[in-house]
Amino acid sequence: MSVMHEFTKGLWQDLPPFRLVLGLCPTLAVTSSANNGLGMGAAVIFVLVLSNMLISMVRGIIPKKVRIACFIVIAASLVVAVELLMQAYAYPLYQQLGIFVPLIVVNCIILARAEAFAAKNGVAASVADGLGIGLGFTLSLTFLGSLREILGNGTWFGIPIMWEGFEPFRIMVQAPGAFICLGLILAGMNVINVWQARRKGLREPDPVGCSGCGCCSLDKKD
Amino acid sequence: MGDILRMIVVLSALCGLSGFALSYLKMVTAPGIEEQVLTYVQGPAIHKVFTGLDNNPIADRKAFSLPDGREVRVFPARRGGLLVGVAIEDKGKGYGGAVGVMVGFNVADDTLAGIGTTDLKETPGLGMRIAEPAFTGQFIGKPLPVALKAQGGGIDAVSGATISSAGAVTAVNNAAAVYKALKAEILKTWGK
Repeated sequence: MSVMHEFTKGLWQDLPPFRLVLGLCPTLAVTSSANNGLGMGAAVIFVLVLSNMLISMVRGIIPKKVRIACFIVIAASLVVAVELLMQAYAYPLYQQLGIFVPLIVVNCIILARAEAFAAKNGVAASVADGLGIGLGFTLSLTFLGSLREILGNGTWFGIPIMWEGFEPFRIMVQAPGAFICLGLILAGMNVINVWQARRKGLREPDPVGCSGCGCCSLDKKD
Repeated sequence: MGDILRMIVVLSALCGLSGFALSYLKMVTAPGIEEQVLTYVQGPAIHKVFTGLDNNPIADRKAFSLPDGREVRVFPARRGGLLVGVAIEDKGKGYGGAVGVMVGFNVADDTLAGIGTTDLKETPGLGMRIAEPAFTGQFIGKPLPVALKAQGGGIDAVSGATISSAGAVTAVNNAAAVYKALKAEILKTWGK
C-alpha cells in the first residue's frame, strides 16, 4: 500500500459519487453548472485533506468511545473555516452554493474517510487518501456540472459553446436533470468496468452499490 | 473512572482549540467579508435604485451615529457632481427572518428613489417575489411614509406573501426614520 496507490484509488476505483455512491446530496444539488461543481469540489478537498491529516495526527490520543464526536468537531471546524474563507475571497461562489457549504459537515465522504481510513493510517497516507478522494469528487462534480450546463444552458464555465440556434434542454439544469445525468453516468461506468474486466479475462465486477463502500457490514454475505 | 476523565479532557481540549482557532479566523476574515458583502450584495442593490451615477456610493460611504447611539452607513449618490440622493439599508421582520432593504431617498423632495432587496430568506416563489420589479417598482417616487393598501397606503402586497411585503414596508419606514433624523447632517457633509 504505497502513498501513490492511496492517491490514485480515489480517481477511479473508489471514485466517490460514481463508484462509492457517497456524497450524493451535494453531487445532485450544486452541479447545475461546471463552475459550481468545481467550487464545491475545491471546498471538499480542503476539508477532506485537512480533516484526514488532523485525525491521523491525533488518532493515538483520541479515546475509542468518543472518536466520532472528535471527528465531527474537527470536520465542523474546518467547514466553518472554509465558509469564512469563501465569504471573504469568493463571495459569488458562496452565494451560489448557499446551504451546501455548511452541509459539508454531514457529507458522508468526510466521516467515511475519517473512520475507515485516517483513524487507522499514518499522516502521509491519510493526506494522499484525502487528496485522491477529494480530487475524484471534484472531477466527478465538474464533469456532471459540465454535462448539465452544456445541455441545459449551452455554455461551459459560462462561455457559450453550442452552435447558433441551439435550444437548451432546460430540464437538465433543474433537479430532474441531475438524476437523469447521474443515472446515465453510473450506467456508463458499469459498462466500462464490465468491458475492462472481460478484456483482462477477469470475473465481472459487482455492479456499483453497497459493496463499494466498505463502511458497514451490510454487504457481507454470510 | 480514568477512562471517563480522559474522554472529557480530550474532547474538551479539542473543542476549546477549535473554538480559539475559529474565533481567530473570524476576526481575520471579518474586514474581507464586509468588503465582499458591500461589493456583491449592497452595491448591486444601490445601482438598481440609482442609475447613471458618477460616483461610487460604496467607496464614498460614511457611518453616521443616530441620537440613540446606533451607527448607520449612508451611501451618497451623485449625478453631475450634485448630491441627488442617499441610500440607507434597514431591516423589517419578514416570514423567514429579517428582510433587508436598501432604500434610496431623493434629497430634493424627500421622496423614495426606489428600493432594492439585500438580505432575503423568504419562501421561494412566494415571499421571494418581493425582490421582483413588480413589487419594488411601486416604491419609486412615493412620499414618506409608505404603507400597504390594506393599511390605507399605496403599496400592493405580493399575493400570498403579506408578511414578507409588510416586512419590506417596515424596512422602508425604518430607513425613512433614519433618513429624517440624519438629513441635516447628510446635507452638511455632502451638500451641493
